[in-house]
Amino acid sequence: MKERSVTNKDLIHIFSGFKSEEGNLIPILQRVQEKRGYISEEAIKRISRFLKISENQIFGVASFYSQFRFDAPGRNSIKVCLGTACHVRGGQILCEAVERELDISPGQTTKDKRFDLERVACLGCCALAPVIQINDDIYSRMTVIRLKEILDKYE
Amino acid sequence: MSKQNEKVTINIDNQVLEVKRGLTILQAAERNNIYIPTLCAHQDLTPFGGCRMCIVEVEGMRGFPTACTTPVEEGMVIRTHTAQVQAERKEILQLILSEHTSSCLICDEKDECKEYMGTIRKAGVITGCRYCPNDGQCELQEVVERLEVKEIDYPVYYRHLRVEKDDPFYDRDYNLCILCGRCIRMCQEIRTANTLAFKQRGRYTVIGPAYDRTHLEAGCEFCGACVSVCPTGALSEKVRKWDGKADREEITTCPLCGVGCQISLQVKGEEVIGSLPAEDPMVNNGQLCVKGRFCVTELVGNYQRLRRPYKVQNGTKVDIFWEEAIELAAEKLSACSGEDFGMLIPPNFCNEDLYLAQKFARVALGSHNIDTTARSFYESGFNTYLDLMRMGAPLSDLQEASVILCIGLDTRFGRSVVGVELRKAIARGAKIISIHPRHHSLSVIADKWIQPVPGTEVSLLHSLVRLTEKKRTGTTRSKSKGIGESLGDELATVAKTLKGTSAVVILVGSEFLPYDQSPQILEAIERLARNIGAGVLPLPAQSNLFGSILMGAYPELLPGGFSSTDKKRIAGLRKKWNADIPHLSSRSNKEIFSSGKRLKMLYLMGEVPPNLRPPSEFLIVQNIYPPVPWDGGDLVLPSAAFTEVDGTFINGEGRIQRVRKAVDPPGEALPDWEILCRIAKKMGAKGFDFSSAREIHEEISSLVKGFGDFDNPARKATSLTCEGELTVSQRRSSGTKKADKKLPFLLTTSMVEHTYRGFPLSTWVEGASALFAPGVVDINSEDAKKAGISERDEVVVTSSHFEKTWPARMVSEQPKGTLHVTLLRGESVGPNPHPVKIRKKNV
Repeated sequence: MKERSVTNKDLIHIFSGFKSEEGNLIPILQRVQEKRGYISEEAIKRISRFLKISENQIFGVASFYSQFRFDAPGRNSIKVCLGTACHVRGGQILCEAVERELDISPGQTTKDKRFDLERVACLGCCALAPVIQINDDIYSRMTVIRLKEILDKYE
Repeated sequence: MSKQNEKVTINIDNQVLEVKRGLTILQAAERNNIYIPTLCAHQDLTPFGGCRMCIVEVEGMRGFPTACTTPVEEGMVIRTHTAQVQAERKEILQLILSEHTSSCLICDEKDECKEYMGTIRKAGVITGCRYCPNDGQCELQEVVERLEVKEIDYPVYYRHLRVEKDDPFYDRDYNLCILCGRCIRMCQEIRTANTLAFKQRGRYTVIGPAYDRTHLEAGCEFCGACVSVCPTGALSEKVRKWDGKADREEITTCPLCGVGCQISLQVKGEEVIGSLPAEDPMVNNGQLCVKGRFCVTELVGNYQRLRRPYKVQNGTKVDIFWEEAIELAAEKLSACSGEDFGMLIPPNFCNEDLYLAQKFARVALGSHNIDTTARSFYESGFNTYLDLMRMGAPLSDLQEASVILCIGLDTRFGRSVVGVELRKAIARGAKIISIHPRHHSLSVIADKWIQPVPGTEVSLLHSLVRLTEKKRTGTTRSKSKGIGESLGDELATVAKTLKGTSAVVILVGSEFLPYDQSPQILEAIERLARNIGAGVLPLPAQSNLFGSILMGAYPELLPGGFSSTDKKRIAGLRKKWNADIPHLSSRSNKEIFSSGKRLKMLYLMGEVPPNLRPPSEFLIVQNIYPPVPWDGGDLVLPSAAFTEVDGTFINGEGRIQRVRKAVDPPGEALPDWEILCRIAKKMGAKGFDFSSAREIHEEISSLVKGFGDFDNPARKATSLTCEGELTVSQRRSSGTKKADKKLPFLLTTSMVEHTYRGFPLSTWVEGASALFAPGVVDINSEDAKKAGISERDEVVVTSSHFEKTWPARMVSEQPKGTLHVTLLRGESVGPNPHPVKIRKKNV
């Protein structure tokens, strides 16, 4: 209850910087994501009222871009690299293993809010491929076998 | 020079053509009968260039431009069918098909398969690979055939998407979807309902509303426009799924509200298998609402239709022949005096039936006791409503309006073609102001949504009236009693907007009609309209309310809308009908129908809830469905639905429009007028020798102005002319009704207005029961939380008058401290709005 009213205040503050024009949708979405870490159903509803665009259209636009997420981020965030080098060294298999282990798809958060998962294009250390990043820690030359052990470290 | 500018000369496939500038290559080719394959292009929608089927070669242009997006230019040389273009198209089509189940398209045994389909079989008609409901009507099949694609070189990828069957009226199988985006463009551009959008991207792209919401949750109007434009079987109408192509169509008028849309009935054999919008620029312009698009088929085609007459004898149903039924009716009616007779007819019958019903009562029974159910719908506001109809404006005024004031109007399921016009108006810069107490279809799109607290509508409208007066007296600040200061300021801006332009149109919906103060609300609307010189569109919920007035289907009114107390008119009618018609006695109808006096005979055309009709010794029910319960009448006569008769309706704007017979009535059912004629003749009454609706229409035209040609009615919008006045009872008003500590909530009620022949559509149309569910109480989410109520909990609502239990629905937009419930016609909870208290059941 309390958290929600804070959100609404934030939203009103964000809206105050924009005109009610269709073209402002993406900047508004970006600001909301910046502020809250994700775009909630409530936020989409309020943006819809403000811009007079339907919630369905807003969701359509937002879901096109991988930068927007619709679930609150978890306590720990996992980034699996699928850049060229990591891809070649089995990044995809690694990603699928994480998905299976946590039972979520990229862009989602586990039910217990422990992890969220994202795919990224390159983390900049291709020589160490395949790479995953959890919070600020980089894990290089990753294997599926090491995965569970590493995940257990995070609460 | 300018002429030269309008036309350009182009060359398509070595044909030199002169075409209009501004056309696309595709349009130019189509107009000259040159075939270019397309999948995503549609004549009503903007070009999309998504499917790449229409690629062509243009001399001097790089690559292969798409014909649907490239405008013609002077001297263009276009080739549509070169070997290379065809090869590219085939390749692209194969890629499309690699994500589309295609055994109905590409199969080695396709030709032989057809031959085996005719053999003796044990299972229905499904032999061969007929798993797509669109088989035979599929545009993809056509293109595959044209391009002669015989095999697919790519691995077939099945997306394993769940078939979505959880919405009423249509199913969605996006495994068959080719992402042409027609449905989305339809929903966004033409309907502007914005329910559909592309979600995700790349190979994950799907079509649908936000999140995983159902269409019902996402605000879909169920207009079915997306289903109509889908080139594949991805979207399919539930009822029509395996019916295939229609043999013929019949254009008629929809009887499900006062807008009077023109619909094209799709007929196969002797059955109506679908209804589509007719391309008619006058009223609905190719659009329909859920009722006209989806409800009609089920409504007239339900297997429970009444097929033969029956009587109820000692508690048993006895099927009888028409002869016996007519004899029984005539015998009972002959023994009944005019005083003891009553007839009720809902105002969505054809003019011809309404006219004949009142003639039947007046001539055969010598009684003025004929009434429509509109009286109990409008109650004390009826006369004021008729006043609004007297100043009625045509729908086309919306096209020029710069400000549109909507009062109590929701266009989601009913009158949604008006909603389409409203959104078009917004697109051209018009302002929409909506006065509505609850969340509704206009709350997102309106420039201003004024949400009055129930019970304050009259003072709200009165302050608008005061603020718009030409000569404002003294005080600059309006005395806005009880509506709150912030709302008062808002009203001042609204008044300014209304006064600032000459092109204002006021639309009146049904929300406030069941309110106790509806006469005052309607009167305030009338005064407001006069102040600002606005046109008023009352948009009645009944398809032929206008006609029921003109036909004189009320005790106080004669055909032509003349008063029954007018002795000269009565004398004229006596001569015309060659019968002895009584003068209207002082014991007016109001007493007959609501005094509780037991009538000897009551004749119901259609259905009327028991508490809205007088008790009677003998009850005749004439309808297309049996009464509920089945023994709800002593004699039950099967009649024909609107798809099975000829006739006319007059819509809310006053346009006379034709109803055309598409199929024969089921079983032994007869048109309403014919049943009445047969009974009247049996009773020995004169003037009932009609053999068709056309003859009745001719008689009407000798009595009522504007009734001319039966085949091609004028269809001109006219305001109501009616001299008579209806006697209405004043609703008992128990003073100001405000919530207090004991009863902290204000309950408002509205009525299920989606009816045909008096019964709610949801009784006989399955999907309609999901959309128009009565008996659910809407509560503000925060109020509910405080009371410990969650979604679908049973809530006990108590007032000083009643105690009822309804399931709850959380609505965040429902104003705090208010509740709302939709009731079936005939149900009543007393005053409206009504102070109540709530509690969760069993707590």
